[in-house]
Amino acid sequence: MINEPNKQLVPHQYKSNSSLDHADIVIIGNGIAGLTAAVEARHISPDKRIVIVTSQIHPTINTPALKQFAIGKLTREQLLAYPAGTERAERIHVVHSHVTEIHAQSKYITLSGNRGFGYNSLLIATGSNPQGLPEQTPGRNFDGVLTLHRLQDYLDLRRRLGELEEAVVVGGGVHAIETVMGLLYWGIRVHWLIRGKTFMGRMLDEAASEIVLNNVRKAGAIIHLQTEIAGIVGRVGAVAGVITNHQEMIPCQMVLTCTGTQAATALAKSCSVPMLFKNGIMVDDKLRTSVRDIYAAGDVAALKNPQTGSYEPRAQWYAAVAQGRIAGSMMVGNKELAQQIFGVHWHATHLGELSMLTVGEPLSNNPRIESYTDTSQGGYRRLAVFDDRLVGYLALGAAQPDSLAIKRIIDEGTPVRSVLKSLLKGNFDARSYLSRQRSHSTRNLLTQQLPNLIKREERPATAVQRMPTTDEMNSYRIPRQTDPLALPRPTTPVQPSTPTFRQTGPLGQYIPEQPSRIVDTPILPDDDFNPFTGSLPEVELNVTERSVRRNSIENWGNSPVTPTYNPPLQNYARDNVLAASDKKQLHYKLWSYIDPALDAQDNVVPNIQEGDIF
Amino acid sequence: MLRLLKPNAIILHKTRPQVGQEIQACIGCNECILACPAVAEPITIDMLNRETISGPISEPVARFARACYQCGACVSPCPVGLHRDAMMLWLKVRLLSMVEEE
Repeated sequence: MINEPNKQLVPHQYKSNSSLDHADIVIIGNGIAGLTAAVEARHISPDKRIVIVTSQIHPTINTPALKQFAIGKLTREQLLAYPAGTERAERIHVVHSHVTEIHAQSKYITLSGNRGFGYNSLLIATGSNPQGLPEQTPGRNFDGVLTLHRLQDYLDLRRRLGELEEAVVVGGGVHAIETVMGLLYWGIRVHWLIRGKTFMGRMLDEAASEIVLNNVRKAGAIIHLQTEIAGIVGRVGAVAGVITNHQEMIPCQMVLTCTGTQAATALAKSCSVPMLFKNGIMVDDKLRTSVRDIYAAGDVAALKNPQTGSYEPRAQWYAAVAQGRIAGSMMVGNKELAQQIFGVHWHATHLGELSMLTVGEPLSNNPRIESYTDTSQGGYRRLAVFDDRLVGYLALGAAQPDSLAIKRIIDEGTPVRSVLKSLLKGNFDARSYLSRQRSHSTRNLLTQQLPNLIKREERPATAVQRMPTTDEMNSYRIPRQTDPLALPRPTTPVQPSTPTFRQTGPLGQYIPEQPSRIVDTPILPDDDFNPFTGSLPEVELNVTERSVRRNSIENWGNSPVTPTYNPPLQNYARDNVLAASDKKQLHYKLWSYIDPALDAQDNVVPNIQEGDIF
Repeated sequence: MLRLLKPNAIILHKTRPQVGQEIQACIGCNECILACPAVAEPITIDMLNRETISGPISEPVARFARACYQCGACVSPCPVGLHRDAMMLWLKVRLLSMVEEE
């Protein structure tokens, strides 16, 4: 929609220039965000020219599955995120090249070799680069210092496994612990160096960190807390050991650095129109960057965290897929998908026997947030509750709670007081809780007679006026049955005009019509029909009815109610619950080219789709 | 009509948006297929995921979906806590509806 007025503004000279390649949609990077965006765009608009520009030589892979690849549970072919040949089947052109510059005014990019490539809308999905060791660390270029980030790195690791006996892993994040567990699987002696006092200081509190670290210790790793690498000792250019900041020498053949990633924002720097970026390229909810017609998705994009209000990238698989889909639909001018909310940070992983889940912000020093902890059943759970709404959840233990459901509870801002205890004990039955809420909201819908489905069925019934009562039937039939051969009495002419006809006439019309009506209504499209839940039909809802329904929800008192349309959800989730209010408002400056009034218009949700809310 | 709506009904299986969301969250680690006692031929997780949501269902995946007897062995090994059983059930439903169309 935004693109359309642009099309007239942009001079056509570039389109007619035959020396310049051109595509409607150009995507930089063939990671999961890039390819998902391309596929999504293709599904919405079948005739646009879509091009992926990438310098990666292999097709899109499941990057989180690389750790399973590292321990030999997967073969290389099984890593593919989409079946081989998807790009060709979806008519997505792949150009193997490196993008050097973006010329935003004239809407073209420069590929290596100074080749120009025009675009109508551009998606930057260049992902992230590993940070590695600090620049000044001696020996950081020795053979055997690896960062596990790309497929090549994992292939390198697997090639070296045979000659590996001792390894040092540096870093205090999830990637580090997964690397440690992977190396332990191969029977390698692992030293794990963590800079801080605890593991994952921002997400886990001390107790949780201790549980995790003990679990890793039990698996055989040697953990050095508050330790950093001072230098790497080499022998003929290959790693021989590591010297720590405690002047301790750890002999090893390999150093694996898992010190985090940095968004690959080089393209934002080389854009001809200044593009805002800090930790990543800043984007709004619809993944638009500060430059018109340029979008960003995946690791490179920094979205506003709904809970803290700061822009930060979400270097995660799930976020990349969701963002890719939204960016893809936005680039072809379809804003519907962008209505769904991203919600809070969510991370779930297995650490050996232990499974770990963090949702939202379980650690926060905001005094208004109550936190609850529980250590029963061998696990550890921590809840952060703000004003009857869950804002953070942390669970460690043998059993995995229904993690996406908990994310949904946080995103929707559902009241949790009634389930607080079971959430804390870790035996929370998310399916029954959420489904109970759904059925409550269904009942609210039905009692207000809002759905078309109900109205159509009931309208003929009102046309019939009323069904004859049993008394009436008796009064007319009894004389006939008891005296069938009797001559009609003088009163009989009245009979056909009154109730007997009412029974046969309108009812006779009504009953055969019923099935055809049901067939006609597009209420249950084949694919959306769920025989198990009886997924709800789409329901038209205008503004007055909406307010009526709000009242009705209040009337239901304490029964849990799922909000059925987006605006209140956004209010809940987008509340800067944890944010300091003095944060500078960035939005007006970032997306000055977007008309907020026009945007608000798009945000009006015409219909409800039960279950669309996550 | 209203009496049929149980206020405390429990929906055991997931709706289409929920299944879609779970598939988006799938990291492709194959743990569920490794744990599956019913899978008889090599099926890659990308095929399974894509055909669960939409599009035509290929023969091996269709055979796998018929062979699946919902034992739930795939649920516990999932590192991200997804419900492959619900996704398989969805695939079964799609398979049935496709057969009916023909």
